[in-house]
Amino acid sequence: MFLVTELVTLLATNLILTQALGTSTLFIAAGSKKNLLWTAMTITVFTSVGSGAAYTVNRILPDSLADLTLLFYTLIIGAIYVIFLAVLYYTDFASFATARKYVHISAFNCAVMGTLFTITDRAAAYPELNTFVRFVLSGAEAGTGFILAAFILTAAYRKLNSAKVPASFRGFPAMLVYLGLISMAVYALR
Amino acid sequence: MNNKKTAVFDGLLGDNTVLSSLMVISPVIMCGNTLANAVALIYAFSAITFFSVVLGSFVPKRFPYAAKIIIYAVISSIVYIPVRTVAREFFPEVITHVGIYFPLLAVNSLIVVQSETKFCRMKRGTMIGSLVFYILGFDAVMIVTAFVRELLAYGTINGKLMDADTLISGLGLPFGGFIFLGLMCGLYRKVRSAARRENSETGGDGNVPRN
Repeated sequence: MFLVTELVTLLATNLILTQALGTSTLFIAAGSKKNLLWTAMTITVFTSVGSGAAYTVNRILPDSLADLTLLFYTLIIGAIYVIFLAVLYYTDFASFATARKYVHISAFNCAVMGTLFTITDRAAAYPELNTFVRFVLSGAEAGTGFILAAFILTAAYRKLNSAKVPASFRGFPAMLVYLGLISMAVYALR
Repeated sequence: MNNKKTAVFDGLLGDNTVLSSLMVISPVIMCGNTLANAVALIYAFSAITFFSVVLGSFVPKRFPYAAKIIIYAVISSIVYIPVRTVAREFFPEVITHVGIYFPLLAVNSLIVVQSETKFCRMKRGTMIGSLVFYILGFDAVMIVTAFVRELLAYGTINGKLMDADTLISGLGLPFGGFIFLGLMCGLYRKVRSAARRENSETGGDGNVPRN
C-alpha cells in the first residue's frame, strides 16, 4: 500500500506530466533502454546535486539580487557538468565517449533547470521544505519522476512509431498526444 | 542559391522550431493558453535567443564543446537580466503568471544546442537571417496555439469575451496543451509532406530536376 501511495505521489508531482518540463529530452531518452538508463541517471544526478547547490545559492543571494538567480543556477549546472565529465573521464575512460553525450543532453535543459526553480518556488510557499536535505530529496524525486515518465513512454514507444499510425502522426505527434492522455489521468489524481 | 534561401527560411516552415524539432515546447504547452502570455513569452524568447546566439557566435571555435555550451548558457543568463527588467515594466501580471517558464526560456535548445550544431557553422550574415526565421517559427506557433486555446478554452480573445457556444476548458490545462500541440504537429507534417510532394512533381523551385 505504501508503494502504491508513493507511486501515486510521484505521478501527481511529476514534472514532465504536470509541468511539461524536459519533454524533448524524454523523447530522446525513450528511444532505447540504453538511452533511457543513462539519461535518467544523469538527470537524477544533476537535479539532486543541483538542488543542494541551489539551496546554498538561495541562502546567500539577497532578495534585491533575485534577478541573478538564473545566472547562479547556470553556473551551478555548469560546474556539475564539468565535474561530471571529469569524473567520467578519469574513472571510466573506456565508456567516456558513449557516456559524455548523455551528460551533454542532460546538463542544460528544462528538466534540470525547471527542477531547481520549482523546488525553490515550493520552498518559498512552504517554509518547512526550505532545508538542504529537502532540496536534495526533492531533486532526487524529480529525477525519479523523469525515470517513471520515461518508462511510461517507453512502454508505448514502439506502437506510437509503428506503421499502423498514419505517417504524419507517427513518432513525436503521437507521443505528444499519448503524454497528453497520461497527463490528463495524472491531473485527475491531484 | 535557392538552396541557401530555403535554408534561411527553414526555421519558419520547413524545419519549424517547435513543430518539427520539438524545441522549446514546455512554454507552449504550459503558458500558450492566452494571448497575453503568448505576447510576453514571444518578446522574451525573441530577445533572449537573438542576442544570446549572436553574442555566442563570437566565442572562439577552438574551445571544447562543454566549455562553449556553458559559455552560451552564461551569456543567455546575463541577457535574461535586462529582458526581465523590461518585461516587468510592460507585462507585470503576466510575469507572475508565467512563473518559472520565463527564466527557462534562457536555457532553450536554440541557444544551448543549435548555437553549436547549426548557427556557429554558418557565416554571420546567413546565421542572423536563419536565426530570425527560427525565432519567427516559435513566435508563429505560440500565437496560433494561444489564440485557438484561449478561444476554445475560455471563450475569449486577448481577454475580450467572444460569442463562443461551446467551451473545452481542458484545452487551457497542461494536458490540453500536450494534445493540441501533438495534433498541430501532425497537421504541420501532413501539410509539409503534401507541399514537398507537389514541389517534386512540378519541379518545385528548381531544386528538383524534372524527368
